[in-house]
Parts: sequence; structure tokens; C-alpha cells
Amino acid sequence: MKMRKIEMEVTEPEMTPVIDIVFQLLMFFMIAISFENTKADERIKLPKDTLAKPPVIKPEHELVLTFGYPRHASGERRQSRPEVFYNERYVDVYEILPDLEQEKRVIERVHGHHVINDVTVLIKADSEIPMGLVQELIRKCQEAGFSKFSLRTSSEEA
Amino acid sequence: MMKLQNRFSGPTKVEIPMAPLIDVAFLLLIFFMLNLKIVSPEGSFNINLPISAPTAAAAEITQSEIKVGMISDRQGNLMQLTLGSRNLGNDDEAFDRLNKEILKIIGRPGNPLARDIQVEIDADYETQYKYVVKAISSCTGRLDPVSKQVARYVEKIKFAPPHKPKA
Repeated sequence: MKMRKIEMEVTEPEMTPVIDIVFQLLMFFMIAISFENTKADERIKLPKDTLAKPPVIKPEHELVLTFGYPRHASGERRQSRPEVFYNERYVDVYEILPDLEQEKRVIERVHGHHVINDVTVLIKADSEIPMGLVQELIRKCQEAGFSKFSLRTSSEEA
Repeated sequence: MMKLQNRFSGPTKVEIPMAPLIDVAFLLLIFFMLNLKIVSPEGSFNINLPISAPTAAAAEITQSEIKVGMISDRQGNLMQLTLGSRNLGNDDEAFDRLNKEILKIIGRPGNPLARDIQVEIDADYETQYKYVVKAISSCTGRLDPVSKQVARYVEKIKFAPPHKPKA
């Protein structure tokens, strides 16, 4: 009778797949976090302010309007007049009313008729835009029926 | 002869050294993480601008209204910040002064008696948006530099009707 010698071996856990998974998770969170709630638009430079804090309660309905200067890839302005970036188009402030009215119709059809009073218009305007044009944009929104406004700033330390 | 046969007895498993590979991967990861430009969070100021006729609404609250004026040059640079009829200057300190004056008017932060006070911002057409945001910020409160707590001053902000652009 032969006696088999039982070898005492230290079993090493397979580390490679573990590390693979950890990397995947890490990458996922890195990408997810920077896009989660900022919806940052590189075409505009928001004014900096330390006081404006991210809202604790997110408004139920919001319409984001981005207002800035169309820029070349290098960052310089393509034109001296700012425009509203709306649905991948550039629209002049004075011509945005039909778009806003359509936006209102869509919101009303989806959420009901009175919801328009609860819609917050989030204005993301470039820090160098003349105030007169921002006010013009607000006025156009009012003409379309929106009444709540929120001015977006970057909370970066000045 | 025997020795040679022993030496080449079938294929052996070649082990790839994983440790240095992982070391390098970590270094790369850290490099890219440090390089990553972290997007700063965004905050916002809420402004209620009802559509109702502005003249009727303005008439009933004129007694508790602070008027902040902003005069600018053609390029939109701030030339003068005013509170009522007082000139506060046009530098960064002007906004600090505005902040202090607002505190004087409301008494203390969160004063219930000051809840109805409204600030009307009357900016020139060309004034750059960032100055207006600074003025709104100076009126709404102050961030304590030590405790990082925000003291709220005036919550209600409105805009005066827009001016015509300078010819």
C-alpha cells in the first residue's frame, strides 16, 4: 500500500480578476460623478459666487436655458452677440419666444395645465453677458408664461 | 542523455509577473486622477418674477424697497454701485460696503421684521452679468469666513425694468 503524501499548500486567492473589477468600478464612479448633477456646459463661464449653494430640494419641473457666446474650439468668441443654446441650435434672444411657447405647450401636455406656475427656469448665463440681454431673456420667458426663475452660478471659491 | 531528457520534460506554465503591471496601472490611475479637472458644483439664486402687471405690484411695496443701482461703461465694466442715492464705488470693496449697508437696514440676519424688505436691482443695459450676480450675492447674505455658515439677509430680489442700450 502506497501512502500518498498530502501536500500542505498555501492557496493564494486569485487577485487579477478582483483588481479588474475594482478598476472597472473606479472608472465608472469617476465618470459618473463628474457628470451627475452638474450638466456643465463648457461653452459658458458661469459667474463665480460663494454664497449660492446647490438647492437642497430639486425643483420638480425645470427648464434650463443656457445663454452664452458661441465659441471656437480655441475658446475665443465667434461673435460679439450672445445667443441662447437651445436644442443644439443657437437662437437669438429676440427670436426665442416661439421655442419657449412650444416648450410650455409640451410641458402642459405632459404634466397638466397648471403646472406652468411651478416650472423653474434655470438661467445659465455667461458672466460677461450684458444684463440687458439677460433681462430680455427673462422677459421673453414671462411672455411665454413662466414666472419662477433661478440664476445659476458656479460655487467655486472666488 | 538522461539529464537532457529530464530538462525538457514537457511544456511548463510561464507566469506573467502581475505585481509590476498593477503598480504601473495604479501610477497611471493616480496620474489621471490628479490631472482630472474637478467640476465645481453649481448653486443658484431664486428669483420670483410674477407676470402680473409690474406697476400694481410695485405700488404696494415701495415703502420697504431698497434700490441698488449699477452704472457701467459701454464695455460693461462697473463704474458705480449705488444704494439709494449713495455712491458705494466700483471696486470689490463696494460690494462689501453694500453688504454692510444691507445688514444695517435689516438689523440682524434673519430678522422677521425685515422679511418684507425687497431689493430692486437697477442695472445698466451693458453691465456684465457677473457684477449683477455679485450684487445679488451681497444683498442675499454673507458667508462667515471662519464658520462657513451663511447668514441670510434679504431673500426677495427683483429687477428694475431694463434700460435702453447706450447709443
